[in-house]
Amino acid sequence: MLRYLFAIALLVMTSPLVAQIVGDLDDESKLYAQSKQVNQFFRRFNGEEDEKGNRYYPADRQYQSTRLRKNYLGILFDEGNKGISPALKTEFVKDVLEKGESSILNFHGGNWFSEVNAIFTMNGVSQRITLYMELEKDHLGYKWVISKVHADTFDPYFKRDTTKVGRFLHPLSHELDFMNLRKAFERSDSISQFTAKRFTPDHLSVFLYEVKKGNLKFKSVEAVKFHFFQLDGWYFELSQFIRPGYNTGWLISNLVKLSSDADKKLLLAYLYQ
Amino acid sequence: MFNNPYKFSLLLIFSLATTSVILAQTGDISPKRKQAIDSLALEKVRDLSKYISIIGNKKTAFSEATRVMDRAEELFAPDSEMGVSSLNSKEVKYYKVRKYFEHLIALNYDRVTIQWYDIHYISDLERQPDGRYVGVVTIYQRFEGVSDDGLKYKDTTKKDITIYVERKKTQVSGRIIEFWDVLLGDIRVTETSK
Repeated sequence: MLRYLFAIALLVMTSPLVAQIVGDLDDESKLYAQSKQVNQFFRRFNGEEDEKGNRYYPADRQYQSTRLRKNYLGILFDEGNKGISPALKTEFVKDVLEKGESSILNFHGGNWFSEVNAIFTMNGVSQRITLYMELEKDHLGYKWVISKVHADTFDPYFKRDTTKVGRFLHPLSHELDFMNLRKAFERSDSISQFTAKRFTPDHLSVFLYEVKKGNLKFKSVEAVKFHFFQLDGWYFELSQFIRPGYNTGWLISNLVKLSSDADKKLLLAYLYQ
Repeated sequence: MFNNPYKFSLLLIFSLATTSVILAQTGDISPKRKQAIDSLALEKVRDLSKYISIIGNKKTAFSEATRVMDRAEELFAPDSEMGVSSLNSKEVKYYKVRKYFEHLIALNYDRVTIQWYDIHYISDLERQPDGRYVGVVTIYQRFEGVSDDGLKYKDTTKKDITIYVERKKTQVSGRIIEFWDVLLGDIRVTETSK
Protein backbone atom coordinates (compact mmCIF):
# COMPACT_ATOMS: atom_id res chain seq x y z
CA MET A 1 0.00 0.00 0.00
CA LEU A 2 2.87 2.37 0.84
CA ARG A 3 4.17 1.88 -2.69
CA TYR A 4 0.85 3.00 -4.14
CA LEU A 5 0.60 6.00 -1.84
CA PHE A 6 4.08 7.01 -2.87
CA ALA A 7 3.17 6.62 -6.56
CA ILE A 8 -0.01 8.65 -6.07
CA ALA A 9 1.84 11.39 -4.19
CA LEU A 10 4.32 11.53 -7.04
CA LEU A 11 1.50 11.79 -9.56
CA VAL A 12 -0.24 14.55 -7.65
CA MET A 13 2.97 16.50 -7.46
CA THR A 14 3.92 16.06 -11.08
CA SER A 15 0.57 16.03 -12.90
CA PRO A 16 -0.67 19.41 -14.06
CA LEU A 17 -4.29 18.17 -13.90
CA VAL A 18 -5.31 21.05 -16.12
CA ALA A 19 -8.91 20.03 -16.51
CA GLN A 20 -9.93 17.49 -13.93
CA ILE A 21 -13.23 16.69 -15.51
CA VAL A 22 -14.29 14.18 -12.92
CA GLY A 23 -13.25 15.81 -9.67
CA ASP A 24 -12.41 12.70 -7.74
CA LEU A 25 -8.71 12.44 -7.12
CA ASP A 26 -9.05 9.12 -5.35
CA ASP A 27 -10.68 7.51 -8.39
CA GLU A 28 -8.23 9.11 -10.77
CA SER A 29 -5.16 7.98 -8.85
CA LYS A 30 -6.49 4.41 -9.00
CA LEU A 31 -6.85 4.69 -12.76
CA TYR A 32 -3.27 5.94 -13.04
CA ALA A 33 -2.06 2.99 -10.97
CA GLN A 34 -3.98 0.50 -13.14
CA SER A 35 -2.08 -1.31 -15.90
CA LYS A 36 -4.66 -0.21 -18.44
CA GLN A 37 -3.47 -2.12 -21.49
CA VAL A 38 -1.24 -5.13 -22.11
CA ASN A 39 0.91 -2.55 -23.89
CA GLN A 40 1.28 -0.69 -20.59
CA PHE A 41 2.23 -3.91 -18.82
CA PHE A 42 5.06 -4.36 -21.38
CA ARG A 43 6.22 -0.77 -20.97
CA ARG A 44 6.13 -0.92 -17.18
CA PHE A 45 7.86 -4.29 -17.07
CA ASN A 46 10.57 -2.95 -19.35
CA GLY A 47 10.81 0.47 -17.69
CA GLU A 48 9.75 2.39 -20.78
CA GLU A 49 7.29 4.96 -19.46
CA ASP A 50 6.84 7.48 -16.66
CA GLU A 51 4.22 7.39 -13.89
CA LYS A 52 1.67 9.13 -16.12
CA GLY A 53 2.08 6.68 -18.96
CA ASN A 54 4.22 8.90 -21.18
CA ARG A 55 6.62 6.85 -23.28
CA TYR A 56 10.37 6.91 -22.73
CA TYR A 57 12.52 6.41 -25.80
CA PRO A 58 16.07 4.97 -26.07
CA ALA A 59 17.54 8.48 -25.95
CA ASP A 60 15.94 9.14 -22.54
CA ARG A 61 18.07 8.56 -19.44
CA GLN A 62 15.34 6.63 -17.63
CA TYR A 63 14.61 4.29 -20.59
CA GLN A 64 14.77 0.70 -19.30
CA SER A 65 16.68 1.86 -16.22
CA THR A 66 17.05 -0.74 -13.46
CA ARG A 67 15.63 1.66 -10.87
CA LEU A 68 12.49 2.31 -12.90
CA ARG A 69 12.00 -1.38 -13.64
CA LYS A 70 12.43 -2.24 -9.96
CA ASN A 71 9.71 0.24 -8.99
CA TYR A 72 7.29 -1.08 -11.59
CA LEU A 73 7.98 -4.79 -11.05
CA GLY A 74 6.76 -4.40 -7.48
CA ILE A 75 3.27 -3.39 -8.58
CA LEU A 76 2.81 -5.76 -11.52
CA PHE A 77 1.68 -8.80 -9.50
CA ASP A 78 -1.87 -9.75 -8.59
CA GLU A 79 -1.67 -9.26 -4.83
CA GLY A 80 -4.84 -11.27 -4.37
CA ASN A 81 -3.04 -14.43 -5.43
CA LYS A 82 -1.40 -15.86 -2.34
CA GLY A 83 -0.26 -18.82 -4.42
CA ILE A 84 2.73 -16.83 -5.62
CA SER A 85 5.05 -16.81 -2.61
CA PRO A 86 6.89 -13.59 -1.70
CA ALA A 87 10.16 -15.52 -1.96
CA LEU A 88 9.40 -16.59 -5.55
CA LYS A 89 8.43 -13.02 -6.49
CA THR A 90 11.65 -11.68 -4.98
CA GLU A 91 13.71 -14.27 -6.85
CA PHE A 92 11.94 -13.43 -10.11
CA VAL A 93 12.42 -9.67 -9.72
CA LYS A 94 16.07 -10.14 -8.77
CA ASP A 95 16.67 -12.39 -11.78
CA VAL A 96 14.92 -9.99 -14.17
CA LEU A 97 16.90 -7.00 -12.93
CA GLU A 98 20.22 -8.87 -12.99
CA LYS A 99 19.66 -10.05 -16.56
CA GLY A 100 19.10 -6.46 -17.69
CA GLU A 101 18.60 -6.18 -21.43
CA SER A 102 18.05 -9.91 -21.94
CA SER A 103 15.01 -9.77 -19.65
CA ILE A 104 13.26 -7.09 -21.70
CA LEU A 105 9.88 -8.31 -22.96
CA ASN A 106 9.63 -8.12 -26.73
CA PHE A 107 6.18 -7.78 -28.32
CA HIS A 108 7.43 -9.40 -31.52
CA GLY A 109 9.79 -11.80 -29.77
CA GLY A 110 7.52 -14.88 -29.81
CA ASN A 111 7.31 -17.31 -26.89
CA TRP A 112 4.12 -15.75 -25.62
CA PHE A 113 0.55 -16.38 -26.61
CA SER A 114 -2.99 -15.55 -25.69
CA GLU A 115 -5.69 -17.84 -24.33
CA VAL A 116 -9.14 -16.62 -25.33
CA ASN A 117 -12.16 -18.20 -23.68
CA ALA A 118 -15.02 -17.65 -26.06
CA ILE A 119 -18.65 -18.66 -26.20
CA PHE A 120 -19.99 -20.23 -29.37
CA THR A 121 -23.32 -21.86 -30.06
CA MET A 122 -23.27 -25.39 -31.47
CA ASN A 123 -26.62 -26.13 -33.05
CA GLY A 124 -28.17 -23.52 -30.79
CA VAL A 125 -26.52 -24.64 -27.54
CA SER A 126 -23.86 -22.44 -25.87
CA GLN A 127 -20.40 -24.00 -25.78
CA ARG A 128 -17.21 -22.66 -24.22
CA ILE A 129 -14.29 -22.95 -26.64
CA THR A 130 -10.70 -21.90 -25.97
CA LEU A 131 -8.75 -20.26 -28.77
CA TYR A 132 -4.96 -20.04 -28.46
CA MET A 133 -3.72 -17.04 -30.38
CA GLU A 134 -0.24 -15.92 -31.37
CA LEU A 135 1.28 -13.04 -33.31
CA GLU A 136 2.44 -13.86 -36.82
CA LYS A 137 4.41 -11.75 -39.29
CA ASP A 138 2.51 -11.21 -42.53
CA HIS A 139 3.29 -8.90 -45.45
CA LEU A 140 4.00 -5.42 -44.05
CA GLY A 141 3.11 -6.09 -40.44
CA TYR A 142 1.79 -8.52 -37.87
CA LYS A 143 -1.52 -10.16 -37.09
CA TRP A 144 -3.00 -12.39 -34.36
CA VAL A 145 -3.72 -15.90 -35.61
CA ILE A 146 -5.42 -18.94 -34.09
CA SER A 147 -2.71 -21.50 -33.45
CA LYS A 148 -4.74 -24.06 -31.48
CA VAL A 149 -8.26 -24.68 -30.27
CA HIS A 150 -9.63 -26.69 -27.40
CA ALA A 151 -13.31 -27.51 -27.05
CA ASP A 152 -14.63 -29.86 -24.37
CA THR A 153 -17.54 -30.52 -26.68
CA PHE A 154 -15.18 -32.19 -29.20
CA ASP A 155 -13.50 -34.45 -26.61
CA PRO A 156 -16.00 -37.33 -26.60
CA TYR A 157 -15.44 -37.85 -30.33
CA PHE A 158 -11.79 -38.71 -29.76
CA LYS A 159 -12.06 -40.73 -26.58
CA ARG A 160 -10.48 -44.19 -26.68
CA ASP A 161 -9.27 -46.63 -24.09
CA THR A 162 -5.82 -47.89 -25.11
CA THR A 163 -5.48 -50.14 -22.03
CA LYS A 164 -8.03 -52.64 -23.38
CA VAL A 165 -7.65 -54.81 -26.47
CA GLY A 166 -10.86 -53.35 -27.87
CA ARG A 167 -11.85 -53.54 -31.50
CA PHE A 168 -9.26 -53.72 -34.28
CA LEU A 169 -8.62 -54.65 -37.93
CA HIS A 170 -6.69 -57.92 -37.90
CA PRO A 171 -3.20 -57.93 -39.43
CA LEU A 172 -4.22 -59.79 -42.58
CA SER A 173 -7.11 -57.47 -43.42
CA HIS A 174 -5.10 -56.23 -46.43
CA GLU A 175 -5.43 -59.66 -48.08
CA LEU A 176 -9.20 -59.09 -48.18
CA ASP A 177 -8.98 -55.58 -49.55
CA PHE A 178 -9.89 -54.39 -46.04
CA MET A 179 -13.42 -55.61 -46.50
CA ASN A 180 -13.78 -55.67 -42.70
CA LEU A 181 -13.75 -51.84 -42.69
CA ARG A 182 -17.50 -52.16 -43.19
CA LYS A 183 -17.77 -53.66 -39.70
CA ALA A 184 -15.38 -51.09 -38.27
CA PHE A 185 -17.53 -48.21 -39.45
CA GLU A 186 -20.77 -49.82 -38.40
CA ARG A 187 -20.47 -48.43 -34.88
CA SER A 188 -19.47 -44.79 -35.11
CA ASP A 189 -18.90 -44.50 -31.33
CA SER A 190 -15.91 -46.85 -31.44
CA ILE A 191 -14.30 -45.62 -34.66
CA SER A 192 -11.42 -43.91 -32.80
CA GLN A 193 -10.20 -47.40 -31.75
CA PHE A 194 -9.03 -47.95 -35.32
CA THR A 195 -6.66 -44.97 -35.36
CA ALA A 196 -2.91 -45.08 -34.78
CA LYS A 197 -1.60 -44.76 -31.24
CA ARG A 198 0.37 -41.67 -32.18
CA PHE A 199 -2.77 -39.87 -33.38
CA THR A 200 -3.52 -36.74 -31.40
CA PRO A 201 -6.81 -35.01 -32.07
CA ASP A 202 -6.61 -31.58 -33.67
CA HIS A 203 -9.51 -29.50 -32.40
CA LEU A 204 -8.62 -26.58 -34.68
CA SER A 205 -9.41 -28.62 -37.81
CA VAL A 206 -12.75 -29.75 -36.39
CA PHE A 207 -13.46 -26.20 -35.25
CA LEU A 208 -12.85 -24.79 -38.76
CA TYR A 209 -14.99 -27.54 -40.27
CA GLU A 210 -17.91 -26.91 -37.91
CA VAL A 211 -17.75 -23.14 -38.41
CA LYS A 212 -17.65 -23.53 -42.18
CA LYS A 213 -20.57 -25.97 -42.06
CA GLY A 214 -22.50 -23.31 -40.15
CA ASN A 215 -22.98 -25.51 -37.07
CA LEU A 216 -20.74 -23.43 -34.82
CA LYS A 217 -21.46 -19.72 -34.44
CA PHE A 218 -19.45 -17.12 -32.49
CA LYS A 219 -21.28 -15.43 -29.64
CA SER A 220 -18.88 -13.61 -27.34
CA VAL A 221 -15.45 -13.47 -25.71
CA GLU A 222 -15.64 -14.26 -22.02
CA ALA A 223 -12.05 -13.93 -20.81
CA VAL A 224 -8.57 -13.30 -22.17
CA LYS A 225 -5.22 -14.07 -20.62
CA PHE A 226 -1.64 -14.37 -21.80
CA HIS A 227 1.12 -16.92 -21.20
CA PHE A 228 4.74 -15.78 -21.32
CA PHE A 229 7.73 -18.09 -21.84
CA GLN A 230 9.97 -15.30 -23.08
CA LEU A 231 12.15 -15.02 -19.99
CA ASP A 232 14.72 -17.76 -19.69
CA GLY A 233 13.86 -20.09 -16.80
CA TRP A 234 10.46 -18.54 -16.05
CA TYR A 235 6.82 -18.76 -17.01
CA PHE A 236 4.23 -16.21 -16.03
CA GLU A 237 0.56 -15.69 -16.74
CA LEU A 238 -0.98 -12.27 -17.33
CA SER A 239 -4.66 -11.64 -16.51
CA GLN A 240 -6.92 -8.64 -16.25
CA PHE A 241 -8.38 -7.69 -12.85
CA ILE A 242 -11.39 -5.39 -12.70
CA ARG A 243 -11.97 -4.65 -9.01
CA PRO A 244 -11.76 -1.80 -6.53
CA GLY A 245 -8.38 -0.57 -5.34
CA TYR A 246 -4.97 0.13 -6.81
CA ASN A 247 -3.91 -3.40 -7.75
CA THR A 248 -5.96 -3.61 -10.96
CA GLY A 249 -5.67 -4.03 -14.72
CA TRP A 250 -3.22 -6.41 -16.41
CA LEU A 251 -1.19 -8.17 -13.70
CA ILE A 252 0.95 -11.28 -13.29
CA SER A 253 -1.51 -13.87 -12.04
CA ASN A 254 0.78 -16.89 -11.96
CA LEU A 255 4.52 -17.44 -11.79
CA VAL A 256 6.49 -20.64 -12.23
CA LYS A 257 10.22 -21.22 -12.15
CA LEU A 258 11.25 -23.59 -14.95
CA SER A 259 14.34 -25.68 -14.36
CA SER A 260 14.39 -27.51 -17.69
CA ASP A 261 12.85 -27.78 -21.14
CA ALA A 262 10.86 -30.75 -19.85
CA ASP A 263 9.21 -28.42 -17.30
CA LYS A 264 8.25 -26.07 -20.11
CA LYS A 265 6.79 -28.89 -22.24
CA LEU A 266 4.80 -30.20 -19.29
CA LEU A 267 3.40 -26.76 -18.54
CA LEU A 268 2.53 -26.16 -22.20
CA ALA A 269 0.71 -29.49 -22.37
CA TYR A 270 -1.25 -28.46 -19.29
CA LEU A 271 -2.08 -25.00 -20.70
CA TYR A 272 -3.30 -26.40 -24.00
CA GLN A 273 -5.85 -28.69 -22.31
CA MET B 1 -9.83 21.41 -25.15
CA PHE B 2 -12.00 21.32 -28.28
CA ASN B 3 -11.16 24.79 -29.51
CA ASN B 4 -10.76 24.96 -33.24
CA PRO B 5 -10.20 21.29 -33.99
CA TYR B 6 -10.11 21.88 -37.74
CA LYS B 7 -7.18 24.26 -37.52
CA PHE B 8 -5.39 21.77 -35.31
CA SER B 9 -6.03 18.87 -37.68
CA LEU B 10 -4.89 20.86 -40.71
CA LEU B 11 -1.69 21.79 -38.92
CA LEU B 12 -1.04 18.15 -38.15
CA ILE B 13 -1.81 17.11 -41.72
CA PHE B 14 0.95 19.41 -42.95
CA SER B 15 3.36 18.45 -40.22
CA LEU B 16 2.73 14.74 -40.86
CA ALA B 17 2.88 15.14 -44.64
CA THR B 18 6.53 16.14 -44.65
CA THR B 19 7.84 12.75 -43.63
CA SER B 20 5.24 10.49 -45.16
CA VAL B 21 7.51 9.26 -47.95
CA ILE B 22 10.24 8.27 -45.50
CA LEU B 23 7.67 6.46 -43.39
CA ALA B 24 6.44 4.50 -46.37
CA GLN B 25 9.96 3.33 -47.11
CA THR B 26 11.11 2.29 -43.66
CA GLY B 27 7.87 1.45 -41.91
CA ASP B 28 9.25 3.06 -38.75
CA ILE B 29 7.69 5.97 -36.96
CA SER B 30 10.03 8.32 -35.16
CA PRO B 31 9.22 9.34 -31.57
CA LYS B 32 8.46 12.89 -32.71
CA ARG B 33 6.11 11.69 -35.45
CA LYS B 34 4.47 9.24 -33.05
CA GLN B 35 3.73 12.14 -30.70
CA ALA B 36 2.13 14.11 -33.54
CA ILE B 37 -0.02 11.12 -34.49
CA ASP B 38 -0.94 10.59 -30.81
CA SER B 39 -2.15 14.20 -30.64
CA LEU B 40 -4.28 13.74 -33.73
CA ALA B 41 -5.71 10.48 -32.34
CA LEU B 42 -6.48 12.14 -29.01
CA GLU B 43 -8.20 15.00 -30.81
CA LYS B 44 -10.49 12.50 -32.56
CA VAL B 45 -11.15 10.68 -29.29
CA ARG B 46 -12.01 13.98 -27.62
CA ASP B 47 -14.36 14.81 -30.47
CA LEU B 48 -16.03 11.45 -29.91
CA SER B 49 -16.29 12.10 -26.16
CA LYS B 50 -17.88 15.47 -26.87
CA TYR B 51 -20.36 13.93 -29.32
CA ILE B 52 -21.31 11.15 -26.88
CA SER B 53 -21.97 13.76 -24.17
CA ILE B 54 -24.22 15.72 -26.55
CA ILE B 55 -26.06 12.62 -27.81
CA GLY B 56 -26.62 11.37 -24.25
CA ASN B 57 -27.83 14.75 -22.96
CA LYS B 58 -31.61 14.67 -22.49
CA LYS B 59 -31.80 18.37 -23.34
CA THR B 60 -30.45 17.76 -26.84
CA ALA B 61 -33.20 17.96 -29.47
CA PHE B 62 -33.65 14.79 -31.53
CA SER B 63 -32.78 16.58 -34.79
CA GLU B 64 -29.56 17.92 -33.25
CA ALA B 65 -28.70 14.50 -31.81
CA THR B 66 -29.17 12.96 -35.26
CA ARG B 67 -26.85 15.55 -36.80
CA VAL B 68 -24.22 14.89 -34.10
CA MET B 69 -24.56 11.12 -34.63
CA ASP B 70 -23.76 11.68 -38.32
CA ARG B 71 -20.68 13.68 -37.37
CA ALA B 72 -19.62 11.08 -34.81
CA GLU B 73 -20.00 8.27 -37.37
CA GLU B 74 -17.61 10.10 -39.69
CA LEU B 75 -14.84 9.60 -37.14
CA PHE B 76 -15.02 5.83 -37.60
CA ALA B 77 -13.72 3.36 -40.13
CA PRO B 78 -16.57 1.45 -41.84
CA ASP B 79 -18.04 -1.49 -39.96
CA SER B 80 -16.77 -0.36 -36.55
CA GLU B 81 -18.47 -1.90 -33.53
CA MET B 82 -18.78 -1.36 -29.80
CA GLY B 83 -18.27 -4.43 -27.58
CA VAL B 84 -19.97 -3.78 -24.25
CA SER B 85 -19.74 -5.83 -21.05
CA SER B 86 -20.90 -5.17 -17.50
CA LEU B 87 -19.70 -6.12 -14.03
CA ASN B 88 -22.67 -8.50 -13.74
CA SER B 89 -22.06 -10.35 -16.98
CA LYS B 90 -18.86 -11.41 -18.70
CA GLU B 91 -20.71 -11.67 -21.99
CA VAL B 92 -19.78 -8.98 -24.50
CA LYS B 93 -22.69 -7.48 -26.43
CA TYR B 94 -21.80 -6.12 -29.84
CA TYR B 95 -23.39 -3.04 -31.42
CA LYS B 96 -22.71 -1.17 -34.62
CA VAL B 97 -21.55 2.32 -33.69
CA ARG B 98 -24.75 3.95 -34.96
CA LYS B 99 -26.91 1.51 -32.98
CA TYR B 100 -24.89 2.28 -29.85
CA PHE B 101 -25.55 6.00 -30.26
CA GLU B 102 -29.25 5.35 -30.86
CA HIS B 103 -29.32 3.19 -27.74
CA LEU B 104 -27.81 6.12 -25.82
CA ILE B 105 -30.59 8.46 -27.00
CA ALA B 106 -33.27 5.95 -26.09
CA LEU B 107 -32.11 5.47 -22.47
CA ASN B 108 -35.06 5.91 -20.19
CA TYR B 109 -33.73 8.54 -17.78
CA ASP B 110 -34.94 12.08 -17.27
CA ARG B 111 -31.47 13.41 -16.56
CA VAL B 112 -28.20 12.00 -17.84
CA THR B 113 -24.72 13.17 -16.91
CA ILE B 114 -21.73 11.93 -18.88
CA GLN B 115 -18.32 12.97 -17.63
CA TRP B 116 -14.82 12.01 -18.74
CA TYR B 117 -11.83 11.43 -16.54
CA ASP B 118 -8.88 13.59 -17.38
CA ILE B 119 -6.78 10.52 -17.99
CA HIS B 120 -5.91 8.60 -21.10
CA TYR B 121 -3.43 5.99 -22.19
CA ILE B 122 -2.08 5.65 -25.71
CA SER B 123 -0.47 2.42 -26.86
CA ASP B 124 2.43 2.04 -29.25
CA LEU B 125 1.53 1.90 -32.92
CA GLU B 126 1.81 -1.51 -34.56
CA ARG B 127 1.86 -2.16 -38.27
CA GLN B 128 -0.78 -4.44 -39.78
CA PRO B 129 -0.23 -6.72 -42.79
CA ASP B 130 -1.85 -4.09 -45.08
CA GLY B 131 0.70 -1.45 -44.03
CA ARG B 132 -1.72 0.60 -41.91
CA TYR B 133 -0.79 1.28 -38.32
CA VAL B 134 -3.07 0.43 -35.44
CA GLY B 135 -3.09 1.62 -31.85
CA VAL B 136 -5.42 1.75 -28.85
CA VAL B 137 -6.40 4.78 -26.79
CA THR B 138 -7.92 4.10 -23.37
CA ILE B 139 -10.24 6.61 -21.71
CA TYR B 140 -12.67 6.47 -18.80
CA GLN B 141 -16.25 7.72 -18.62
CA ARG B 142 -18.59 8.25 -15.68
CA PHE B 143 -22.29 7.93 -16.45
CA GLU B 144 -25.17 8.95 -14.23
CA GLY B 145 -28.83 8.61 -15.15
CA VAL B 146 -31.65 9.82 -12.90
CA SER B 147 -35.40 9.31 -13.34
CA ASP B 148 -37.99 11.77 -12.05
CA ASP B 149 -39.12 9.19 -9.53
CA GLY B 150 -35.63 9.33 -7.99
CA LEU B 151 -34.22 6.11 -9.46
CA LYS B 152 -30.54 6.54 -10.08
CA TYR B 153 -28.09 4.49 -12.15
CA LYS B 154 -24.38 5.21 -12.30
CA ASP B 155 -21.31 3.47 -13.60
CA THR B 156 -17.74 4.04 -14.69
CA THR B 157 -16.66 2.48 -17.94
CA LYS B 158 -13.28 1.99 -19.53
CA LYS B 159 -13.27 2.57 -23.25
CA ASP B 160 -10.46 1.01 -25.29
CA ILE B 161 -10.66 2.70 -28.66
CA THR B 162 -8.94 1.32 -31.76
CA ILE B 163 -7.22 3.92 -33.90
CA TYR B 164 -6.14 3.30 -37.49
CA VAL B 165 -3.38 5.47 -38.85
CA GLU B 166 -3.14 5.50 -42.60
CA ARG B 167 -1.55 7.45 -45.39
CA LYS B 168 -3.88 9.54 -47.51
CA LYS B 169 -3.54 12.07 -50.32
CA THR B 170 -5.06 15.50 -50.72
CA GLN B 171 -4.66 18.31 -53.21
CA VAL B 172 -3.61 21.69 -51.87
CA SER B 173 -3.09 24.53 -54.38
CA GLY B 174 -2.66 22.03 -57.21
CA ARG B 175 -0.07 20.00 -55.33
CA ILE B 176 -0.68 16.45 -54.17
CA ILE B 177 0.21 16.19 -50.53
CA GLU B 178 0.39 12.91 -48.69
CA PHE B 179 -0.47 12.86 -45.02
CA TRP B 180 -1.25 10.46 -42.19
CA ASP B 181 -4.84 10.43 -41.03
CA VAL B 182 -6.46 8.79 -38.03
CA LEU B 183 -9.75 6.92 -38.05
CA LEU B 184 -11.41 5.35 -35.04
CA GLY B 185 -12.28 1.66 -35.11
CA ASP B 186 -13.85 -0.90 -32.75
CA ILE B 187 -14.36 0.16 -29.15
CA ARG B 188 -14.35 -2.20 -26.19
CA VAL B 189 -16.47 -0.82 -23.35
CA THR B 190 -15.85 -2.44 -19.96
CA GLU B 191 -17.78 -1.49 -16.86
CA THR B 192 -15.26 -1.03 -14.06
CA SER B 193 -17.43 0.18 -11.17
CA LYS B 194 -20.98 1.14 -10.25
